[in-house]
Amino acid sequence: MDYTMQIQDTAARLFSEEKIDLFIGYRSTGFDNNQVPVLIHHYQDVEQLVFTDKSVFNLTNYLKYEYTRNKRVGLVVKGCDSRSLNLMLTENQVKRENLFIIGIACEGVMNEQGEKAQNCVECVMPDAVIYDELLGAPTGQREYQVNADINELAEQPLIERGTHFEEIFENCIRCNACRHSCPLCYCNKCCIDQETSTLYQGSNTTSGAFHALMTWSLHLAGRCVDCRNCEKACPSHLPLHLLHKQNEQVIYENFQEHLAGMIKDDRGAFYKYSMSDPDDFIM
Amino acid sequence: METELKDKIVSIEKPAIEAPPEWKPMIMGILCNWCSYAGSDLTGTSRIQYPPDIRIIRVPCSSRVDPWFIIKSLQAHADGVLISGCHPGDCHYISGNYYARRRFLVTKKLLNFVGLHEDRVQFSWVSAAEGAKFAQVVAKVSEDIRKMGPLHLYKKENTR
Amino acid sequence: MARVGVFVCFCGANIGDFVDIPAVVEETKKIKDVKYAIEYKYVCSDPGQQMIRDTIVDHRLTSIVVAACSPRMHEKTFRKALSDAGMNPYLLEVANIREHASWVHQKDKEAATEKSCDLIRMAVAKSIANEQLHEISVPVTKRALVIGGGIAGIQAALDIADARIPVTLVEKSPSIGGRMAQLDETFPTLDCSQCILTPRMVDVASHPYIELLPYSEVTELDGYVGNYKAKIKKKASFVNFDTCTGCGTCWQKCPVKVPNEFNMGVDKRKAIYSPFPQAVPNKPVIDAEHCTMLIKGKCGVCAKVCEKGSIDYEMKDEMIEREIGAVVVATGFDLWDPKPYEEYGVGRFKDVITSLEFERMVSANGPTGGVPVRPSDGNVPKNVVFIKCVGSRDEAKGIEYCSKVCCMYTAKHAILLHHKVHDSHAYVFYMDIRAAGKGYEEFVKRAQVETGATYLRGRVSKIYKKGDKLMVIGEDAQIGQVVEVEADMVVLATAIYPYKDNPDLARLLGISYDKYGFLSEAHPKLRPVETAKAGIFLAGCTQAPKDIPDSVAQASATAAKVCALFSGDTMKKDPMIASVNPEFCSGCENCVSVCPYQAIVTEEIPMGHGSEEVRTVSKINEGVCQGCGSCVAICRSMAIDLAGFTDMQIINEIVAI
Repeated sequence: MDYTMQIQDTAARLFSEEKIDLFIGYRSTGFDNNQVPVLIHHYQDVEQLVFTDKSVFNLTNYLKYEYTRNKRVGLVVKGCDSRSLNLMLTENQVKRENLFIIGIACEGVMNEQGEKAQNCVECVMPDAVIYDELLGAPTGQREYQVNADINELAEQPLIERGTHFEEIFENCIRCNACRHSCPLCYCNKCCIDQETSTLYQGSNTTSGAFHALMTWSLHLAGRCVDCRNCEKACPSHLPLHLLHKQNEQVIYENFQEHLAGMIKDDRGAFYKYSMSDPDDFIM
Repeated sequence: METELKDKIVSIEKPAIEAPPEWKPMIMGILCNWCSYAGSDLTGTSRIQYPPDIRIIRVPCSSRVDPWFIIKSLQAHADGVLISGCHPGDCHYISGNYYARRRFLVTKKLLNFVGLHEDRVQFSWVSAAEGAKFAQVVAKVSEDIRKMGPLHLYKKENTR
Repeated sequence: MARVGVFVCFCGANIGDFVDIPAVVEETKKIKDVKYAIEYKYVCSDPGQQMIRDTIVDHRLTSIVVAACSPRMHEKTFRKALSDAGMNPYLLEVANIREHASWVHQKDKEAATEKSCDLIRMAVAKSIANEQLHEISVPVTKRALVIGGGIAGIQAALDIADARIPVTLVEKSPSIGGRMAQLDETFPTLDCSQCILTPRMVDVASHPYIELLPYSEVTELDGYVGNYKAKIKKKASFVNFDTCTGCGTCWQKCPVKVPNEFNMGVDKRKAIYSPFPQAVPNKPVIDAEHCTMLIKGKCGVCAKVCEKGSIDYEMKDEMIEREIGAVVVATGFDLWDPKPYEEYGVGRFKDVITSLEFERMVSANGPTGGVPVRPSDGNVPKNVVFIKCVGSRDEAKGIEYCSKVCCMYTAKHAILLHHKVHDSHAYVFYMDIRAAGKGYEEFVKRAQVETGATYLRGRVSKIYKKGDKLMVIGEDAQIGQVVEVEADMVVLATAIYPYKDNPDLARLLGISYDKYGFLSEAHPKLRPVETAKAGIFLAGCTQAPKDIPDSVAQASATAAKVCALFSGDTMKKDPMIASVNPEFCSGCENCVSVCPYQAIVTEEIPMGHGSEEVRTVSKINEGVCQGCGSCVAICRSMAIDLAGFTDMQIINEIVAI
């Protein structure tokens, strides 16, 4: 998977036609083929752009910042990225007319070990669901797969699972990198920073991390698109996807809803209901 | 390093035998004003007795219950949480309990996933006429929690 | 610095016997922020309330906790005590130590005492976060809109207008009167329907506070209680009502004949018509679907014969707007179509007719001059079979509910048949006789005894034709035999069914309806005339099958509701509603999608920092919000909070123990 040339060409054309002010893509770090996001402002810089299976980050995250808000932006989105973009459009965080979207029919990206990343192996929708221009051959929606780690954890005894998560919460340093890297965490002021919650949350303790991460994952329940930006940003390498995938699975199995961001104007499972939702867990 | 860390950790769910003899369970009850709170009042008016472990908070509707309240209760002192609202179709605010129901299921499963026993957080529909049911619900939750013992939610020692 | 006062009530022995109140008071005094705590025999009594008032002043208290019975019982009483002492009433919290402690832990005084202390601790913690709240007043436009000009709409309009509140009455057909105008006589007194109805119709037309809009439909309703804006389409009548005298020359000369809806299609009317002689307003309209002048541009007879020159073929539909404060929906009913009953020969045998067709025939102003005749040959029938519950109470072919009026009108029909055709005989097949109502049972007896109608308990299984007679085969369950009746005519008591446009109207008004199309009341017992949308009320058969007295009673009830709503220049509302902090709102509009009352709108506010840009945030309409808190719980950035149940208050309660 290498769309470097096509993306450079499109970006150059968009700049020359003055259709965009800014292009968000990936550039190589020159080290081990690793890539980082890059914001291109000028025609002559488009040569920096690359796109390969090392283009891991979800670039829609940059659309939530004030810097890009009223600019005309071109950007590259993979299947998962396009779903978060779809949600951002539904939730009025970006304007469609400001965007030029290069969608990728993604073949999966690599993890740090050079293997196909887990979320790509389990990916439900590798093709971009929203785009102005599509690169690659679409392969269509795939069947939902239960996350391998969740399967494994669910079989463990409760106490062991609790210990596993206690370690996770204990290792959280509350840097909020997960929040900053998530395209759907765009609130003006995060609930976790507000007076009502800061008063009692116990700051940087295991219990505080439990509170913060649980609240955070519930705010993303039915919205998380499994791009794993949060996990890539986490300095403690916490397996944050566990919380999100768990919620996603419960929602998928219990409510007949689309996965987050698959459909335009679909707000996610918590913002609607069905009379026939499961009731057996309630006395 | 790895073993050192493990030793420090106190599991969330300790076996019940470790409960100190003077321990009494604390259950946080969050009830909707129109059905369950009225139902709990009826339990009182009918003098139906139930275990004294529950502390009740009144909210207008079960849809007012942010999952955050449940997390907060467990993080504070509660050994268990009971949330109760109107039966489906009876919501005073038309559809509030349907929205709440979805959130409750996801929250319950998530808490269980990170290591809490699923009976720590329970839900019920209690109408304003179901005073007896409310007593039964509290008795059940109380019994479940007593079986499980105190919740050590990342507290190095049980301060209560 | 908070200074909380706590009053612990013995409630006589109710709390005092099962909770160690002096110990509770001692424990309460230890709570930080509690400046004053005292026990009292009955805090709700006058001296008790006086004590609260005095203490507030003497100890400069900032909030009050009363530990007593359920807040559902005496919260209002204590709030009033606070406001009498000059304190904001919403600074009160009630700790429910009676229903939640003393009454439910009567065998364990220690536990009940400990629990009471905890409940007080929680209430104190909550009260510290209480804010001063003030009743919300919403301006009210004092004009009511009544949709539907049947007896329910007429009664509602008259009652509201008699209270000197302007009413706009919208009726879709050319005349008001509705179904009641089609009836001949009414049960159980047999007084003439027209005689009691038409004076009211005239009252409507001449009432200074009623604006009558016949031949019109409501097309849009925006806004909220007290402040609705309605768009009404006045359909083109092609007749200038200002100059028309209603002389009737036009409809006598009109050459086009159309089945007459008012007479259930038994006879014909013209393309320019007034539905019935007593119509109000008694002005004709041109039926644009059938008028040859309007379709083909040929004819023009009515314009030629009209001395006043009132005919205007160029007339267009007109849209008018009215600002209104409340709506009464009284759209009435339709008859259920009995087509599924093939065994009754519906549609095959001309002499099998519906009850309303029979009603028109026996009506003095009806198509047959008040005498029932067989549609097949025009002869007067001698033996008439009435079949009840056609559609009603039949899950298989019809509908599940009972139409309520059929038992009574069938008894009336049996009596009327006897009055009109003296040597006739009525046979009534019935499932049950439901005659609950003043004078109703006596009326059915009258039909059975005085007129000698034969009541047969059982269903009819088949009707077939034998010569020019109809053979009705049914079961008489009382003798357990199949009976066969030779009939000249069969009358089906077809069910009451909601008016077919009800679902469209409900969507337009933003109210709910059931699976049949009946509009839903807010509460089946305690709020039977209100809808879930504040300021919209229901009268008559639009909500459920009813007879005339019930419809009139419900219509008058809606009038009382409307008058109460309009009793001041503003409406008072409980201040415990949600509000948005625009600073934190990120404008995702998820709250808009969960609000059950459509109370959340969006507004544009400046971006701040001197920028000229704007951003969109949510805004809660105070007049509409009912305070459920759905939006509060789903707002991720905590931009929405619910007064009286704020996040801070609830978290304070949670962490208090």
